[in-house]
Amino acid sequence: MRLPRKILSGLLIAFVLIQFIQPVRNLSNEIPSGDITKAINVPDKVEEVLKTACYDCHSNNTYYPWYSGIQPFGWLLAKHIRDGKAELNFDEFGAYSLRRRISKMNGIKNSMEDETMPLRSYTFLHSNARLSTNEKALIIDWATRTEDSLRLLN
Amino acid sequence: MKAIVLSGIMVVTIGFISCSNNENSTESTTANKETTSQAAGTNNTIEQAKSGTINDVVSGYLSLKNALTNDNANEAASAAKGINESLAKVNESAMNADQKKVYDDIKDDIREHAQHIADNSSKIDHQREHFDLLSRDMIDLVKAVGSSQTLYRDFCPMYNNKKGAYWLSETKEIKNPYYGKEMLKCGEVKEEIKANG
Repeated sequence: MRLPRKILSGLLIAFVLIQFIQPVRNLSNEIPSGDITKAINVPDKVEEVLKTACYDCHSNNTYYPWYSGIQPFGWLLAKHIRDGKAELNFDEFGAYSLRRRISKMNGIKNSMEDETMPLRSYTFLHSNARLSTNEKALIIDWATRTEDSLRLLN
Repeated sequence: MKAIVLSGIMVVTIGFISCSNNENSTESTTANKETTSQAAGTNNTIEQAKSGTINDVVSGYLSLKNALTNDNANEAASAAKGINESLAKVNESAMNADQKKVYDDIKDDIREHAQHIADNSSKIDHQREHFDLLSRDMIDLVKAVGSSQTLYRDFCPMYNNKKGAYWLSETKEIKNPYYGKEMLKCGEVKEEIKANG
């Protein structure tokens, strides 16, 4: 019985030690200059949905849940946020070229229709990010109309 | 006790190293691109590698289109990877100012769509969504920079909830990349883009 005990306490120590490796938090005090609501027309209802269901990974500010302080969950979260922001950052949308804005609107619509976003692992723990059929339709309609009107400028 | 503490520390270190390696790998791809493009100015051998043209990007695109026509997501992914390899080798100094302006506007978008297609070798529907946008980019690019072979701008009226989508083809015969063998003959030639160099 000695060995399993050693392994167990080893793992416990490892678990305690990894808690000291905290990833840098995605938080910003600056008013985002590329804020999407300043760049294109975003109705209030759409903005509300984007903020609750998308902004945690697609903006410069994440609302951190309690488990984010526990590793390795915090690391996993940090990776999702990094990937999400690289793909689409609503706080930098204003800096995107017209072509990229069109691409992103098309991507928002498609990811809603394909139900690839919001990520299932995210909605599993964030029930308020689970979108109703109406909310989905609202976002799809907004993204489609925005894409169409942006194309007229191209 | 010492052994336990030591093994604990080792697990942490290994975990930490592998984790930070992960972080680096995503960033290093972009960093690498920058170093190669920087080095291109000074190093002659790399300068030679930078002798690609838009025609190479177009051939990559056409391979991608043909893979999608054949419903082959794996081939589509590797063709998309080829597009980005060609894109990295394009010799921009051969373009005039107007062409360069259009190219600068389009190239990042092409890279992003090709990357997505390359990363989704098991999701052909998702590849086709990006192919739609990539095709628009390629059409704009070919119209600005020209093409060494005659191309046809084709239209599929059904894709995108019947809003339609375009693609470029090297043959006059319609072979639809948006639906593959499901609707291979569906579509029409909208325009012939004549070879000009």
